[in-house]
Amino acid sequence: MDVNHINPILAAFAEILPQIGFQKVEKKNISLVGSTFDYDGVIVNLAVVGTVKGVIMIGMDIDSAKRFASAMMMGMEVTDFDSLAQSAVSEMGNMVCANACTQFSKVGIDGLDISPPTIMISQGGLATLPVPQTIVIHFLVDSINIKVYVGLA
Amino acid sequence: MSIKVMVVDDSPFSRMMIGEALSGAGYEIVGEADSLDSLIETYNNCKPDVVTMDIAMPGADGFECSRELRRNDPKAKIILVSSMKDEDSEAEAKRIGVSGYIQKPVDGETLIQVIKNVMSPDSLFEQLMERGLETFKEALAQNVTRMAKTPVIFNPIENSDSPYISQGITAVIGIIGQSTGSMIMDLSPDAAEKITEAMLRRPSKNREEVLAMVAELANIIAGIACSMLNKKDKAFALRVSPPSLFHGNNAEIISPSLKIQRSLAGTDFGSIFLGVGFKKGSKLWM
Repeated sequence: MDVNHINPILAAFAEILPQIGFQKVEKKNISLVGSTFDYDGVIVNLAVVGTVKGVIMIGMDIDSAKRFASAMMMGMEVTDFDSLAQSAVSEMGNMVCANACTQFSKVGIDGLDISPPTIMISQGGLATLPVPQTIVIHFLVDSINIKVYVGLA
Repeated sequence: MSIKVMVVDDSPFSRMMIGEALSGAGYEIVGEADSLDSLIETYNNCKPDVVTMDIAMPGADGFECSRELRRNDPKAKIILVSSMKDEDSEAEAKRIGVSGYIQKPVDGETLIQVIKNVMSPDSLFEQLMERGLETFKEALAQNVTRMAKTPVIFNPIENSDSPYISQGITAVIGIIGQSTGSMIMDLSPDAAEKITEAMLRRPSKNREEVLAMVAELANIIAGIACSMLNKKDKAFALRVSPPSLFHGNNAEIISPSLKIQRSLAGTDFGSIFLGVGFKKGSKLWM
């Protein structure tokens, strides 16, 4: 597990989420899984290109995604994970990963760039990353569970 | 109608230099600010077409001011004008979505050229929108035909904004460059298995082999298509990420910030969905 791939992500979440309406960002745990893992709900996929390549994915269940979008939209009621809510969650992914690129440059990993986000919604979906091992960071953001999957090499 | 410019700089001398260079060339200086305090109010009052922004200012610096401006108006066109210009500051500027970046001392002609380019339609992006999907289709047809020995015929598909439902296996590749974008390739597990068998000339041993084929095929198509586009105009500077794969139960695929152009390739083994989208980015760095 490369700590240089973890700290910039932690720093990015800690810096960005309070700016978009969240009070408390807690890191619950960090684990390592293989290249394939299952997910229920929403996965935001952001590709990374530069001196390291790969992908950062942000996953949460549908209910969490609705609560997340609601908090980002100043408490507006979100009953469906509709296009507005999808746009909010994908924008959060974009902001966090763009900030992570800046954090990566602070630890000597320069010149990273990210692609626009793609969202997958599935129950019982599987994701396979282009790396042998995936770092999974479990966050609790104002009691909303989020998992961040980091597959960089 | 002349182009309206707002100048943000804490130095009255710099504001005067930039103002005179631009006024002399027929531009209209509609507002000035020396810090974050008056920035948003002045911007909203004078509604400039473009803002020149110093970086080193007391209090909030040019990056913070640019962030605030873009938060206030996501379409704000900002050109950083600063003596400070290095890899870190360029990377930060790109992330904020700044349109141009020139180094002080300001050369009037360079500044005017950058403003003209920032204000002109993004011709590279328009070329990508015109040629992008066709180029990816060409790369798919050539390589599927060569590797799996099947003819490829593209069938019309409705280009709607509605979410696309996966046929079973989806490869997503990120594209970075002058414009950023994504390529989505999607096919059924059955079609993927048959294509793998045609390529290997034996049945696939397991699901991993099939997934590896889909990843490799997507990688080749995106890589070749981006190389073809870069050869047409190297300013595209497109690079691709390795593919992410999604499989298991069916998934809905959404690209909230992109208009994905869709195509469906018919082969002897089943259909392959191809989606390609790019996002406008008019960055100018001098």
